[in-house]
Amino acid sequence: MRYIFKFPDIGEGLDEGTIVEWHVEKGQSVKMGDPLCTMETDKVVTAIPSPKDGIIAARFGKTGEVIHVGNALVEIDIEGIDGEAAVEEANKVEVVNEEGAGVVGTLEVAGNNFVLSASNEGVQKMDDDVSRRGGKVLATPVARAIAKDLGVKIDLVKGSGPAGRVTKEDIIRFSEDQGSAATTTRSTSDILVVNQTSAPNNPENLVEIENMSQIRKSIAKHMSQSKHNAAHMTLFEEVEISELERIRTKYKEELLKEGVKLTYLAFIVKAVALSLKKFRSEMNFEGGKMIYKKYYNIGIATDTDKGLVVPVIKNADQLSVKEIAQEITHISNKARQGKLTLEDMKGGTFTITSYGSIGGLFAVPVINYPEAAILGVGRISKQPVVKGNELAVGLVLPLSLSVDHRIADGGETARFMNSVLSYISDPVTLLFN
Amino acid sequence: MEKIMYDIIIIGSGPAGYVASIRAGQMGLRCAIVEKEKIGGMCLNWGCIPSKSMIESVKFYQRIIKDSSRFGIEGIDRKVVTFSWNTAIKRADTIVKRLTGGVEFLLKKNGVEIITGEARIISANSVLVENRLLKTKNIIIATGSTSLPIDNLFENLVIEPKDLFKEREIPENIVITGNAPVAIELAQLFRMMERSVTLVSTADHIMPKADDYIRKYMENKLKKDKIEILYNIGLSSTAGSWNDGVLNLEGKEVKCDLIINASSRKGNLIKSDIEIVIENGFYSVNEDCETSVKGIYAVGDVNGVSQFAHIGSAQGLHVVNLLKGIRQRLDIKKLPMNMYSVPEAAQIGLTEQEAKEEGYDYKISEFPLSANGKAMAEGQAEGFVRLISEKKYGEVLGVQIVAPNATDMINEAAAYMQLESTVYDIAQTVHTHPTVSEVFMEAGFEAVDKAIHK
Repeated sequence: MRYIFKFPDIGEGLDEGTIVEWHVEKGQSVKMGDPLCTMETDKVVTAIPSPKDGIIAARFGKTGEVIHVGNALVEIDIEGIDGEAAVEEANKVEVVNEEGAGVVGTLEVAGNNFVLSASNEGVQKMDDDVSRRGGKVLATPVARAIAKDLGVKIDLVKGSGPAGRVTKEDIIRFSEDQGSAATTTRSTSDILVVNQTSAPNNPENLVEIENMSQIRKSIAKHMSQSKHNAAHMTLFEEVEISELERIRTKYKEELLKEGVKLTYLAFIVKAVALSLKKFRSEMNFEGGKMIYKKYYNIGIATDTDKGLVVPVIKNADQLSVKEIAQEITHISNKARQGKLTLEDMKGGTFTITSYGSIGGLFAVPVINYPEAAILGVGRISKQPVVKGNELAVGLVLPLSLSVDHRIADGGETARFMNSVLSYISDPVTLLFN
Repeated sequence: MEKIMYDIIIIGSGPAGYVASIRAGQMGLRCAIVEKEKIGGMCLNWGCIPSKSMIESVKFYQRIIKDSSRFGIEGIDRKVVTFSWNTAIKRADTIVKRLTGGVEFLLKKNGVEIITGEARIISANSVLVENRLLKTKNIIIATGSTSLPIDNLFENLVIEPKDLFKEREIPENIVITGNAPVAIELAQLFRMMERSVTLVSTADHIMPKADDYIRKYMENKLKKDKIEILYNIGLSSTAGSWNDGVLNLEGKEVKCDLIINASSRKGNLIKSDIEIVIENGFYSVNEDCETSVKGIYAVGDVNGVSQFAHIGSAQGLHVVNLLKGIRQRLDIKKLPMNMYSVPEAAQIGLTEQEAKEEGYDYKISEFPLSANGKAMAEGQAEGFVRLISEKKYGEVLGVQIVAPNATDMINEAAAYMQLESTVYDIAQTVHTHPTVSEVFMEAGFEAVDKAIHK
């Protein structure tokens, strides 16, 4: 029987995703949980797992195409299920729990994935990967002749013909693409020269227009939503962190042996989590009610090639500084490799953004709405400080705390900041909690 | 108003429409087909199928009177043997009934709803059929085409191909207007019934899309058959030009008792409350057969791309697959053309003239049927196969065939084209002996080096 797998409703308000890459071909056999394609949604780039064992009968949508939730993604030919069993199978509500495939976390596949018999064209079972096993790639005689002539390795070419057969056009396109790739790798100075001479005459060269990525769309939506709703108020402070630096330096090497990078951020996360707990100030504001959350999940704004993402460290109050450091290393690696799942980003209650690691002393961070506050961490620098009555060289960390002034008053905000400062300036206290 | 929301409503049940409907049904789409006359449309009811039955009848008749004694059959007196149009029509009717019944069965089997009546498009999502307003996501127009009318007030003088294949008297002198395969087939059909036939072409040639080589061959053949061809003459009215059995065609007098209007055709456009762009009498479509209105498609004759049933069917399938999210390439150049002349003619791919225009460095390899054993044994060794291939890789660019069964043989060439074959593949494909199809292999040998039997 045929089973149509629709792009599932994965919650979190997502209603569309872009196909980044297909991992299956028509005619390929898949097991339940095998990745079908990589989708970029508002929140993540992640693989969509197959809900069934079977053979891919059809793929809907090309790379780069936007698929709306509920639209067909693939058609899977399930062997050995026919007749009444097929109807029963199709009406089942599927729940697929996929380890690490958080964007789909729990897949609810609607029961209307009707059974139908499409053409069997090109749906014969293909070996896992013909090209990589050194077998013969399906290609037309003319395609082979041209590939040989142009020096194109035919097993690198994706076939557009029936059952993925490589055609003449595929070879020509592939060869042209290779050609254009080669010309774009010219040195940047070359390109600058070209721009200087030709740009003024051609206004098209002055502007480059690209489609917004899903992540960029999401960031844009989020930022304006935050600025539109929350009444931002920002408090700036500086804290001397020689003591923190001493402890960090002392344990840094040792922890590195265990693969843990002990950063300032780990201490700050802990300080924030403990302060939040102390002041009951972990809040947000919904429908005229104050909501106090009794769990402390700290989001870490992370800069990636594709844009900003905010993975979350869950229950940071209950973790040791070392565990937090470990967790930061883990999620930031995942973020940079584009492997974060929705699960990694869900449930944040407070966000920390540490732009200082790149540059900047103070900033006015925009709240990760609907959270109530965000802490900005600036660049640490050596500065003259007064210790006792002496002028000394101190290590100064600038902090900016933006709060939603509708929820938090100035006094409360300052008291919370004081608590964070005291933990950071006397980090041993972090170990007692 | 109906509550049903169809996925597709297909208007017209000819080969373009009914094939698309069956496919839609097979794919689980909710589909209705609207037909105002008979399921099967022009092709099954009044065109391809009855005409092919009749052509076979007269070919059979001709072989009996011309070939039987040569083939060793004795006792047939040519003076006694006659051909009965009306009896042959009965055989054709039986075939038509069986085929149209089969189509109706297949439509029902695949859950396609058949709605009888004339359709009117209300919007991109609704169609009105006899007071029933049908809601749909997509519309496919597959209403076919009709010859441009000839004004006529004389009784029984002018007839449309659609009305031809019925029991009737066939008069002595017949004029056929048109230059497409249909006109040529009809000219030969009546000539084989020993009628006097004149073919009137508006252009300076016949077979507009054929390779010059086939065209010249057929022009000679028609001349040999004693069919007169008049070029560059248009006939739009009989008033003043016809008088008592004589038709005056721009000064030339031709005996004429019956005019068959097989001249150029225009799309059967349907009533629509929204504007759908029309070009030269056909719905203007993009390469996916979509009209100017999103969600409304036109397939088959009505879009003016081609007037072959198989191309209409291919377009219909293409659109349904597309609506289902399956995108395949529809390359009109790789779709074969066929003509049921005697001998038959068929071609696929580029003509020599096109290969030249497109700047190919090409080679022509020809092999005649007169050197083929099976063709000789059959007593029908008229014709050839002609292979156009590109020199560098040996890619097959086009194939032309004139042979008794050219319309069947062209499908081998179609497979070569679909698979992007080279002449080496043809040469290396072992063909059974003795067969007429061996001429392909020989042409392949010729393309690679030299034919064996030439």
